[in-house]
Amino acid sequence: MKNEYFPYPAVIEDIKTETTDTKTFRVWFTDKVLADSFDYQQGQFMELSVPGAGEAPISISSSPSRKGFLEFTIRAAGKVTKSIHMLKKGDYIYLRGPYGNSFPFEDIKGKNLYFVVGGIGLAPLRSLINLVMDNRNNFRHIKVLYGARTPDDLCFKDELEQWKKIPDTEVWLTVDKPSAGWGGRVGVVTELWKETHINPENAVSIVCGPPIMIKFAADKLQESGFKDKDIFMTLERYMKCGIGKCGHCNIDDKFICKDGPVFTYEQKKGFRHKEHIF
Amino acid sequence: MPRVLTTCIYCGCGCGLYLISDGKRLTGAYPSRNHPVSRGALCVKGWNSYEFSNDLNRLTAPLIKKDGKFIPASWDETLGLVVEKFKHYKNTFGPDSLAFLSSAKTTNEENFLMMKLARAVFKTNNIDHCARLCHASTVVGLSLAFGGGAMTNSINEFKDAEVILVTGSDTTAQHPLIGSRIINTVKDKGAKLIVIDPREIQLAKYATIYAQPKCGTDVAWINGLIYVIIAEDLHDKKFIEERTEGFLELKRTVRDYTPELVEEITTIPKEKIIEIARLYAKARKSMIVYSMGITQHTTGVDNVLSLANLAMVTGHIGFASTGVNPLRGQNNVQGSCDVGALPDVYSGYQSLVDGDIRKKFEQGWRVEGLPPKAGLTVTEIISAAGEGRIKGLYIMGENPIISDPDSNHVRKCLSEVEFLVVQDIFLSDTAEYADVVLPSASFAEKDGTFTNTERRVERIRKVIDPPGQAKADWQILSEVARRMGYKGMDYKHPSEIMDEIASLTPIYGGITYDRLGPYGLQWPCPTKDHPGTSVLHKEKFTKGKGTFMPRPYIPPAESTDEEYNFVLTTGRVYWHWHTRTMTNRTSTLEREAPEPYVEINCEDAEDLQIRDDQLIKVSSRRGAITLKVRVGHKVAKGTLFIPFHYREAAANILTILAVDPIAKIPEYKVCAVKVEKI
Amino acid sequence: MRGKGGKDMKASKVKIIGKKKIKDLLREASQEWNVYVPQKWSDGDVWMDQLPKDKQMLDEALEDVVLEDVDTVISPKDIFFPQLESIFKFKDDKIWETPEFSPKLIFGVQPCDLKGILFSDDFYRRNFEDRYYVSRIQNRLIVARGCLRPPRPTCFCSSAKTGPFAEDGFDLQLVDFGDSYFVEVGTREGEEFITMHKKFFSEPDGNYDMTIKEIKTKACDSLELKVDFQNALSLMAQDSFIPEENYRRIGERCIYCGGCLYVCPTCTCFNVFDNVKDKEGERVRNWDACVFEGYTRETSGHNPRKDKWLRTARRYEHKLKFDYKVTGLSGCIACGRCLSSCPVGIGISKFIQEITEKRKIM
Ligand SMILES: Cc1cc2nc3c(=O)[nH]c(=O)nc-3n(C[C@H](O)[C@H](O)[C@H](O)COP(=O)(O)OP(=O)(O)OC[C@H]3O[C@@H](n4cnc5c(N)ncnc54)[C@H](O)[C@@H]3O)c2cc1C
Ligand code: SF4
Ligand code: SF4
Ligand code: FES
Repeated sequence: MKNEYFPYPAVIEDIKTETTDTKTFRVWFTDKVLADSFDYQQGQFMELSVPGAGEAPISISSSPSRKGFLEFTIRAAGKVTKSIHMLKKGDYIYLRGPYGNSFPFEDIKGKNLYFVVGGIGLAPLRSLINLVMDNRNNFRHIKVLYGARTPDDLCFKDELEQWKKIPDTEVWLTVDKPSAGWGGRVGVVTELWKETHINPENAVSIVCGPPIMIKFAADKLQESGFKDKDIFMTLERYMKCGIGKCGHCNIDDKFICKDGPVFTYEQKKGFRHKEHIF
Repeated sequence: MPRVLTTCIYCGCGCGLYLISDGKRLTGAYPSRNHPVSRGALCVKGWNSYEFSNDLNRLTAPLIKKDGKFIPASWDETLGLVVEKFKHYKNTFGPDSLAFLSSAKTTNEENFLMMKLARAVFKTNNIDHCARLCHASTVVGLSLAFGGGAMTNSINEFKDAEVILVTGSDTTAQHPLIGSRIINTVKDKGAKLIVIDPREIQLAKYATIYAQPKCGTDVAWINGLIYVIIAEDLHDKKFIEERTEGFLELKRTVRDYTPELVEEITTIPKEKIIEIARLYAKARKSMIVYSMGITQHTTGVDNVLSLANLAMVTGHIGFASTGVNPLRGQNNVQGSCDVGALPDVYSGYQSLVDGDIRKKFEQGWRVEGLPPKAGLTVTEIISAAGEGRIKGLYIMGENPIISDPDSNHVRKCLSEVEFLVVQDIFLSDTAEYADVVLPSASFAEKDGTFTNTERRVERIRKVIDPPGQAKADWQILSEVARRMGYKGMDYKHPSEIMDEIASLTPIYGGITYDRLGPYGLQWPCPTKDHPGTSVLHKEKFTKGKGTFMPRPYIPPAESTDEEYNFVLTTGRVYWHWHTRTMTNRTSTLEREAPEPYVEINCEDAEDLQIRDDQLIKVSSRRGAITLKVRVGHKVAKGTLFIPFHYREAAANILTILAVDPIAKIPEYKVCAVKVEKI
Repeated sequence: MRGKGGKDMKASKVKIIGKKKIKDLLREASQEWNVYVPQKWSDGDVWMDQLPKDKQMLDEALEDVVLEDVDTVISPKDIFFPQLESIFKFKDDKIWETPEFSPKLIFGVQPCDLKGILFSDDFYRRNFEDRYYVSRIQNRLIVARGCLRPPRPTCFCSSAKTGPFAEDGFDLQLVDFGDSYFVEVGTREGEEFITMHKKFFSEPDGNYDMTIKEIKTKACDSLELKVDFQNALSLMAQDSFIPEENYRRIGERCIYCGGCLYVCPTCTCFNVFDNVKDKEGERVRNWDACVFEGYTRETSGHNPRKDKWLRTARRYEHKLKFDYKVTGLSGCIACGRCLSSCPVGIGISKFIQEITEKRKIM
């Protein structure tokens, strides 16, 4: 009988500082059998442990198309995430998973894609975006609309630049609070609607970010003519087990860890207390 | 799966609960269905009381500080050092260069031993404990008025009350199993509830009348109520005539407290004063419930005396479901007072000024020359330690750095005292300052008794062994006495200590472990066949006639001014216990209230342009702390509330070391502060 | 796997056992099993505790065994899902798991509690298996005991058809018949148990079927608290039916002790935390409750269920709406424990009365 609560060691192979409070960790399992059989999908998360500090759900930010490692992009928020930030290259970290459903991939081939992202929300979406980029020919026009609090809070700056260079791909950035030297746009991500045309025709949108941002962005997309089923979003909930047992992440009859974290706007509208989802 | 019936470690309700262990550690806590207080229920703290003693960071070995670092040492070496130092100070500077702080978290037996150690072995009356900080005013005030400082009724009597007046007690948060009874009585049996509190507490929602007085104006509104009662001829003349003395003086004093004046002082509208007075006086069974909102003032004793006046003037005392009910905070603060961990009395509130009583204790303890002069109180001890008058200080299970007023002052004093012994289950903030730390057993690791707020002496029972070399407090204290060459403190079991308490203490005279059974006995229980007492002062007051002691209104020690323009009041939250030594090691409790905060009224927040959750700086003349804001209606405009649990933003850095002149209780409930955005 | 206690097999055989023999049966059974049976404490509290293995202690414990009018504060769920349990231990870079497998005979389970156990079994097995729970139930035999009278004044099993006798799900079920019990056999494992201990059992005579039926009907009639359970489930199933005011009122009255959920036989929520000193420690889980504010509060402070009424709604909707939607069974098994352990008199039976009878009683 497999023990889903039991984590497996992985070694930290590389650490990259993204922002003042966010780092990307590249890790891989020490156990060869596990490493060879491990598979995951875009948008899934894992439970990361530092024994003694605890466990936290973290999205896999690398793309399943790029094999042989896993990346997690983590903001130092509380006890566990801060302990992870203290780890160094070569240290062990303990993982279990992957858990949760995933962002659509096959179903959205041949479509225009709108990625609407806030802050650390780019971590899970990066998994999908890079998967899409690795299969670029299967998709039509792509727009990434990315908002962060300050220019310093923008993650994956190199990759943002790379994506921009890919044909038929636009990256729009905006920040709430500009700092000296920021020549770009200022305002929340929905302000970008004023600047760039949002066309729901043959398009799907995928929203990821802080709850309040998702709420506004999803509403805005719906206003712009996106069908409820074509707006994908992630829901975040306090989690402990990641496997539908501890109860914390429940909404109605769903567990966000197991039945989510990816939901459509349509599903969200079906929840009993839909006004209180975010 | 051993399961043991014991008593909750947290509040004064004294719920009966079963602890479960797997032999090595605790794995659960369940309420007793038949216990008269818990009745199948517990509050969240009781339900989770199994967790903290498992924490791997418990103290497991005695520690001696060498070069600023704690080094584990043997009991022999450590206690040897303690005794050597204390002996030296006693011989060189006299017994009063020593002081002992006992603990309301430990058992009756242990408190009794602590005071015996101080008095019989070291010959000093410098013994006190945190009751000073919570209900010293009650002990003094109700003794003066009635002859006994305890709840006059019992917890299960709330269900038959007609009117319940709650003041200065956030009952559902601090005495949940009493607060819940009040809700049930009001909602299900139609009793009327009066809540008078500067904070709009949960009970306020159930109140027929809720009044929000300015902090520290209690004597004024109480006198106002009595004014109305007398003016409207609602007082109980027969009761006053037969059972009390001093009514004329009362009449004279309250004569000035017209509803108009009271409104001016307290901001309670005069119509409300009149309404409250009528409601309280006209009912047959009216109960007063109060707690630290009444006692923790420089006028703490005055407040208590005034409430006693109110009850007596209406004859609302001495009957079932009718009386004055101070809710004692700590699980065993009633008991630690009862058994004499106080500077001026022996167990059972027997005065040490009385030569006969001293003789009785000298004989009982087989010693000579018990000191006749009252000792110092907690706050005085701390200050004296800072000034070098106290050389050796022994603190058992208390954390004055967080719990006492003006933390910075306490810190300074404790760092200056020559030799500090701290006996605790965890390395508390206070223990950091110790020269010697002694590891003790938790409530699950020893036998003993606690006395709850309704005077119920209840057993606690050992479930598991203490970790490492930790020992029960009673064992450590006995060992210290033995090493001092005193032979009268060798006990095989705490029951022997209780037998000694019973033999020297009339109110506990009939109490033995055999008789306590599962639910305990309520004192006074003077003889071995006495069934215990649920209602005090029935036919007559303990002191004979009840005494009216009218008091004029005196404003708090520190009032607001242009700079320090907010009134700060401090208190506790439901989830935490005092300095969080136990509750921050309880996952559910710590998660519920992980951070310090300050409550502020919406209007003030708007004026200051402060948002919910924003960090602000609150400072008084003594210090400053930074913490998050909770904007709401709970406190009135101009008032702030901060829970005192958190060392990260210790409210007691702000509070003032101003004390009641008689009870010496500090004014935790009022000081002047200012708010700054950061 | 022995005694799944979940196999559908209608009671086909009936045996009889004298009440006086129960102690000896338990004594014998405890050689092979960890036996859990209700035992009375000197203060009158009754707990479903494990019988000690030590001979003398066992004899003493057997004296305290009670099978009638048993009112345990907690259902036997804590045998499989203890209030606190270890998930794994760690030291330096090593970690090792700590499941528990012992064979368990649970003797004298009330029918409502049996329903609760089966409900939780299903939950913990569904999708991802919960290793700790499932290992604890691996080897289990359940002897149910029907109630002649409701042990708690708050019992309302007859309204929910979860008692006072179980129809299935047990390995064996005791039916109180004066100085003996009829023993209904529910599974092959139950039958094997009887064969193993056959000297204690005998064949019932005469028309015992009728007798058992009468006993059960009478027991059913003895329940005074009746609520319109089915109606409540269908009302709750309608999304348009929003008793928000009820939730608000109840949420105000609640003192957030968590008791109603801790005692609930079908409540399964837990929290996880590490207990550590230096580099050595343990990851443990303990009971949690969805009425707590921190249950859904994220590190950022964001809390989708900050409002009390939403948490209250969650509690009732989970039991009476969503559990029903997912499993076809109500999550409330009508044991009445939430009410009897609530310090402020809140309970699911009262909630049902409020919504079906349209009155305010809390
Ligand atoms: C599906 C999912 C994917 C996530 N992906 C990422 C990511 O890629 N990068 C990232 O930086 N953050 C991510 N988060 C948020 C991250 O899980 C929290 O910031 C983290 O749990 C905080 O834990 P802590 O121990 O540091 O804080 P503490 O305050 O010590 O939290 C204690 C525990 O509470 C629970 N908890 C608290 N907040 C959250 C939360 N927001 N979500 C879930 N559980 C919580 C966790 O069990 C956590 O260990 C994700 C959350 C979810 C639900
Ligand atoms: S009400 Fe008091 S005594 Fe009872 S469980 Fe809560 S803290 Fe413990
Ligand atoms: S038992 Fe009652 S008070 Fe406690 S959480 Fe449940 S409803 Fe609230
Ligand atoms: S995280 Fe435990 S149920 Fe979803």
